[in-house]
Amino acid sequence: MKDAIRRPGYTGVVLAFLLVFPLTILSGVAHAQQAKPTGFPDAPGRDLLLGRCFQCHGDGIWRDHRQDQRGWEGVLYRMVGRGALWTEQEIGTMAGYLATVRGTSTDKTQR
Amino acid sequence: MRELVARYLSRSISRRSFLKGLTTAGVSLGAAKGILESIVPAAHAQAAAPEGIKVFQGTGGACFAEQLIASGVKYVFGNSASEDAQFYEALVDRPQLKYILSPHEGPGAAMAAGYVKASGEPTIVMQAAVVGLMNAMGQMYNAFKEQTPLVFYSYRTDQTRRAGRDGFEEVANQEQIVGPLTKYSWLARRADMIPETLRRAFKAAWTPPYGPTYASWHSDFNDETGVRTEIITQQKVDPRMRVRPNPAEVERAAKLLVEARMPLLIVGDELYNTKSVAKAVKLAELLGMPVTQARQMYANFPQSHHLWVGTPGAGTLASLTYPKEPDVVFSVGNKLQHNGPSPIVPRSAKFIDMRIDSASMGNVITTEVPLVADVAYGLDDLTAAVEGLMTASIRKRVEERAQEVRGFGERARGMRALVVKNPDWNRNNPMLSDRLTWEIAQFADPDAIIVHEAGSIGLHSFGFNPLGGRELFFYYGAHLGSGVGTAAGVKLARPNQQVICLVGDGSFIFGPTALWNMARLELPVITIVYNNHAYSGPHSRVIEKTAGGRMVQTGQFYHDYLGNPDMNMAHIAKGFGVDGEVVESPVQLKAALARARKATVEGRPYLIDAQVARTGVAWAEKPWVPPIRVAGERTRKV
Repeated sequence: MKDAIRRPGYTGVVLAFLLVFPLTILSGVAHAQQAKPTGFPDAPGRDLLLGRCFQCHGDGIWRDHRQDQRGWEGVLYRMVGRGALWTEQEIGTMAGYLATVRGTSTDKTQR
Repeated sequence: MRELVARYLSRSISRRSFLKGLTTAGVSLGAAKGILESIVPAAHAQAAAPEGIKVFQGTGGACFAEQLIASGVKYVFGNSASEDAQFYEALVDRPQLKYILSPHEGPGAAMAAGYVKASGEPTIVMQAAVVGLMNAMGQMYNAFKEQTPLVFYSYRTDQTRRAGRDGFEEVANQEQIVGPLTKYSWLARRADMIPETLRRAFKAAWTPPYGPTYASWHSDFNDETGVRTEIITQQKVDPRMRVRPNPAEVERAAKLLVEARMPLLIVGDELYNTKSVAKAVKLAELLGMPVTQARQMYANFPQSHHLWVGTPGAGTLASLTYPKEPDVVFSVGNKLQHNGPSPIVPRSAKFIDMRIDSASMGNVITTEVPLVADVAYGLDDLTAAVEGLMTASIRKRVEERAQEVRGFGERARGMRALVVKNPDWNRNNPMLSDRLTWEIAQFADPDAIIVHEAGSIGLHSFGFNPLGGRELFFYYGAHLGSGVGTAAGVKLARPNQQVICLVGDGSFIFGPTALWNMARLELPVITIVYNNHAYSGPHSRVIEKTAGGRMVQTGQFYHDYLGNPDMNMAHIAKGFGVDGEVVESPVQLKAALARARKATVEGRPYLIDAQVARTGVAWAEKPWVPPIRVAGERTRKV
């Protein structure tokens, strides 16, 4: 598994909670496009989030992350640095939704 | 001048090139002609053989050197090899052949590859037997994936009369080890076959589609004396393969493109390699066609152009924000590396594929129109065919489409600029990596070359433009440890452009030895290490596969933390003779960049070890380290 051995070095870098940026196409990402997201209850911003983020990501990466709106904004703006094209308003809406369903007080068992 | 004379006498360069070389060096044309006249008798004295061919007699190592000169090689990259003694001996009287000693074969090969990519000139990278070859093979793999025309050589330590005895540094069938990674691999059977073996290695490497080749021979061939053989210039054996596309297919492609509702152009590295970016721009403008690029090494289209729509986030066109449903997709010079089951180009689109690499066509993506061609010729022919089909109504539709694309492009530029709105933008100790990237982009020269081996960062804000602006040298192979070496090679080839190497700490530590080459050769490269003391990419990917699992519950990640103790890359750089410093904040960074500029203006390389934040799921402030300590097992204080 040479690839597995070499993967570590991809990083050395800051990196991202989410994995993608425009020129770095990592395996698994394309699979994510077909993944059906689970554990995202109805609330304002849900459809926007699913429409935007699940172009590239599956749902596994989200399950263990809990933070407030500011923290989620930080994540989403980092995705802008990786090529995501969103407006400020969209980022605010998605961060608000994530703070609701993946906030610091949200039960981690929620799926 | 001595070098030029030597190259002219050895027939490595033509009369015209000789004159051009002298005038470029500042000699007047009249004086240059005078010098030429003065050495003509010497040249004629050597001219018993036909043009481009000479008979040479000497050691095997000298034959090796002579053929390299005839093959157009200027720089040789190598690591010390005892059995190449006669080759080194031959170098002394052949100053036109410049040997660059690298302290490790891997970064040495990366440096050679960087030189080839940035200069378009041939070179060879030499290793000591199979033991050195093994170190170089990581970069051989990169060259294979990236289709870099790089020739590798290593002798077999075993000599002809004792081979096969499991001798020192001997492995059976050495030349076969590299088989899957090379276009050509051969073991010369006699000393007088050394030049021919080399010629074939250079010919195969430099005939499209490009790729690495490997030449080898038993070490005693280098020592053999009185070897008589032909030395032949590369021009005499190069098939100069430049293929025009099938005219019937060109007409079909042109018709599809002019009739398309929303065509989309994917650009690729064959454009950069053939210096055809401007031709792609011309065709895109003719059709009002949006342009994107799936992963490649170079930026192959001006990113400020109104038809540029950015890169697909997840690699496939389905992840492009715009256009959403292209009906005709035209890829020019892009291999389209697939990392998932979905084709990059959806089956619903008609696909036109123009490349010289026919072997990789049609493997995943069904192709409506294959155009096997040198993309420079191919674009010329296709553009002419499209122009022939243009009507007033088509031009009107093209203009409307171009306006739509321009509108998207303007909105996209505004959204990309939002990166600075991150609430952590001014974070200190450690910094946000996006802030680091942004500051570097503000700092870089308008025509800087960015060598990028910090794979997981988003490379925003640079506005690459291969038509005279900033250039990108990314990687495609991903055998790590190539960045620093590549940057050194690029600077060797392009001494008059600023070269900035961006590298992650994980990648950097695989191949820092090329820093020593930067110091020795006075290659003023600015190396910036994104140092988060972690393998963060694997950290996130592992969590995605094990969401909610034991690692997340306990915080015990075995594979990702490189701190405790933290590595200090500036100290490492100083050990190689390169000045550097650690920076922890944007304010420190700006001052450090100014010092880096001063150093490089003065001809010295510089390194900045930039402390950046670990971001992502489940990173502890002080990450867990596996409790493996030998202290408890020690019974003696030794």
